[in-house]
Amino acid sequence: MELLVNGEVRPLPAALADPAMPLLWALRDLLGLTGTKFGCGVAACGACTVHVEGRAVRSCVTPISAVVGKRIGTIEALGSAERPHPLQRAWLLHQVPQCGYCQSGMLMAAAALIAANPRPSDADIDAAVTNICRCGTYPRIRAAIHAAAAALRVVPARA
Amino acid sequence: MKRRALLLSGVGAAGALVVGWGLLPPGDRLGGTDVLPVVDGEFALNGWIKITDDGTVLLAMNRSEMGQGVHTALAMLAAEELDVPLERVRLIAAGPERLYGNVAMVMGNLPFIHPRDREPGRTTDGIRAVRWVVAKVASELGINVTGGSSSVVDAWETIRLAAATARARLLGAASLAWKLPASELTVEAGVVSHPSGPSAHYGQLASTAMATPSGEVRLKPPDAWKLIGQPADRLDVPAKIDGSAIFGVDVRPPGLLFAALRHGPMLGGSPGAVDVAPALALPGVVRVVRLGPYAGSTGAIAVVGETWWHARRGVDALAVDWRQRPAGPLDSADIVDALEETAREAAATGAGRVFHAHGDVGVAETTATGFIERVYRAPYLAHAAMEPMNCTARIDAGRVDVWVPTQVPGLARQLAAEVAGVDPDRVTVHVTYLGGGFGRRLDVDVVGQTVRIARETGGRPVQLMWSREEDMQHDFYRPAAVAVLRAGVDATGLPTSLSVTSAGDAITPRWMERAAPGLAVPIDMPDKTTSEGLHDQAYGIAHQRIAHVATRSGVPIGYWRSVGHSHSAFFVESFIDELAGEGGRDPLAFRLALLADAPRHRAVLELAAERAGWPGTKAARALPPGRARGLAMHESFGSIVAQIVEVSLEKNLPRVHRVVCAADVGTVVNPAIVERQIEGAVIFGLTAALYGRIDIEGGVVRQSNFPDYPMVRLADAPSIETFLVASSRSPAGVGEIGTPPVAPAVAAALFVLTGERWRSLPLT
Repeated sequence: MELLVNGEVRPLPAALADPAMPLLWALRDLLGLTGTKFGCGVAACGACTVHVEGRAVRSCVTPISAVVGKRIGTIEALGSAERPHPLQRAWLLHQVPQCGYCQSGMLMAAAALIAANPRPSDADIDAAVTNICRCGTYPRIRAAIHAAAAALRVVPARA
Repeated sequence: MKRRALLLSGVGAAGALVVGWGLLPPGDRLGGTDVLPVVDGEFALNGWIKITDDGTVLLAMNRSEMGQGVHTALAMLAAEELDVPLERVRLIAAGPERLYGNVAMVMGNLPFIHPRDREPGRTTDGIRAVRWVVAKVASELGINVTGGSSSVVDAWETIRLAAATARARLLGAASLAWKLPASELTVEAGVVSHPSGPSAHYGQLASTAMATPSGEVRLKPPDAWKLIGQPADRLDVPAKIDGSAIFGVDVRPPGLLFAALRHGPMLGGSPGAVDVAPALALPGVVRVVRLGPYAGSTGAIAVVGETWWHARRGVDALAVDWRQRPAGPLDSADIVDALEETAREAAATGAGRVFHAHGDVGVAETTATGFIERVYRAPYLAHAAMEPMNCTARIDAGRVDVWVPTQVPGLARQLAAEVAGVDPDRVTVHVTYLGGGFGRRLDVDVVGQTVRIARETGGRPVQLMWSREEDMQHDFYRPAAVAVLRAGVDATGLPTSLSVTSAGDAITPRWMERAAPGLAVPIDMPDKTTSEGLHDQAYGIAHQRIAHVATRSGVPIGYWRSVGHSHSAFFVESFIDELAGEGGRDPLAFRLALLADAPRHRAVLELAAERAGWPGTKAARALPPGRARGLAMHESFGSIVAQIVEVSLEKNLPRVHRVVCAADVGTVVNPAIVERQIEGAVIFGLTAALYGRIDIEGGVVRQSNFPDYPMVRLADAPSIETFLVASSRSPAGVGEIGTPPVAPAVAAALFVLTGERWRSLPLT
């Protein structure tokens, strides 16, 4: 079995790649992509959020059989050091993280939102970003999403 | 208070400090270069500071980063005194030596001295002497703890002195090399220069500085600070936005195996007979390991697998005959009822350990014109840090490596050594980032379990991670507590006496038994955390008696963000709000009247009231219909916080729209971090106030995961504004102080909305 992760075809070790294995564990324990986190195992906290075909998916309950052949995106490829994602720029500017454990999932949920909705309202953000942050970084998450969405709207206009 | 310059004399190569007692925790915490190993191109100037040949400052970091920004704050202290930009400071892991212990945390808990009696001008030689002895003992013990909101307090003089001493030696080296007086040299961004021309960066001077005494060392006066007091970006943020930050669960040493476990479902239970065959028959399952209780944990069965998912499947396949706790099953409803009975009885008979008394409550109550008694209750709470409990260990050729997100690396090392059967010198603890701590990671149960498993893996490293269910059902919980508060009031409605009698388990003796058994004593010593926030509150009530009955319920309990304050603020502030209401007084004016001798508390309250638009202030502002304000103020960890919340009811449930916080935290090192800590603590407190309760039925914790132990989410998060009072006092605690006032403030607003008093948490 192989997965298409961050634009690369990644073969999985045959002995361990069970179709029922949640994508989270394939990413973390088979492919070494540890940026995506385990938080609850029941799709309740969003720490494990990744993109499948550009949509935010909770990987702790998504079996790999459901994502074979689909484009999977993780925090490791959201941006790069040279070209950070606008959300990562906004996260830095607003100094969003505290402990940081939930932030990969927050960023991935937010990225899927603004890709689909370039001008999200507060209610849109509330509905799309239901992840849990125990440190309480929510006010800055909201501010950073608005800032990144605004930056994205400006960039194409200049180009 | 006049800020005193510290004069250090007799500083030799080892950097012995001679300072006045009462000023600095005694004992040599500067340390020698022996505790900081160097590689080529590095020069250690004391136990905290190395300089590399390119002029980079390496700071020994002795505190755990769990989101509170401590790595950045402590680096700022070093950068300030060394006159380097913050980005020139790199952090290196501090070792297990005693100088990296936390003296301030111990000082914050012992002895029980009312904060007023520590104020300059009021303190006595006796109090100073007792505090000196405590500091001395704490310094000798050298226990490294990140907790008690004490990291900056502890580092404030220690790290600044280490950096200032290093700077003095670097200047001394330049002075010798250039034959120019050190007093004529200046430092700008790590470059030492003299007006006559010579200049060199720290890296060029470090080698000579190692052999140069520092001479007289002075800390910068506040008006020379460039970094302290200014917002600065956190050092850890870049790694936390691209997935590269390494938490405990992200450690990947070569050959890593993964482990999952199931504890006995009943707290304090243990596994009996186990059928391991179905688990071992599964692909990817390597081994099954029976785990006894470690550092207070319940017994468990662990399964080792090639991935965590395989290990977890193995756990699910186990057939275990679980045994009950020998003393019988625990039941939280019974326990809380018993606490109430105990508190009521003690209040009636005058029993309990008295933590504070002045005046004569008995006489005052007989002469009072009115008499008000109320009972308040708080439930057990789980920590629910986002990163579940985990640890990674490898035992190879008599050496033990432990990677763990912990608040107590020294205790982790001690337990790992015991379980592995080696000397502590053979154990290296690597502290990762913590995906939240909140006090849960002051316990090392998971370290004992992991090292036990690692004994079975033939030298391969193993990473044990608990599921969320195990994390929530096998926590060391914030203890339940009940308090009876009683006031005698005069004809004007002001209280003349206050009697508080609370009951609940004492955390510290239980924690000592399991986490630091070497320090535990056979009888329970009085535990300040049972009564903090009650015996040391600032209200000027003439007659007071504050007592606590320490119970032993058998429930595993631990330190939870803000500890005793987490419920005592709810008790005392709710009661104050009721007293104000009974007397027909405005809650703000009522408090101000009781704080005539507490100008700092008044200032904080007035600042919050002004910013929130409280009625009667200059900025008074009417609220939209259906909304009400609630006010609470609480002092903890040396800081004072007032909060004013705006609440409405939506579908009969409280909805918090806005929280205005004012705080006096002493000198602020990084105001941006302080504000975020307070705001985060408000949301943490709001989760507890609205939803937090752990119920134990038949020995089993009923809640198991976020669906039944809900958290405040983005959609429910209020807007929060934080205002800091300017202060020239030494820094006080920050990480926990925002949590205590939330619940009583929301409860007070609910009273305005509903006319009902909410005396039991949570508020829904």
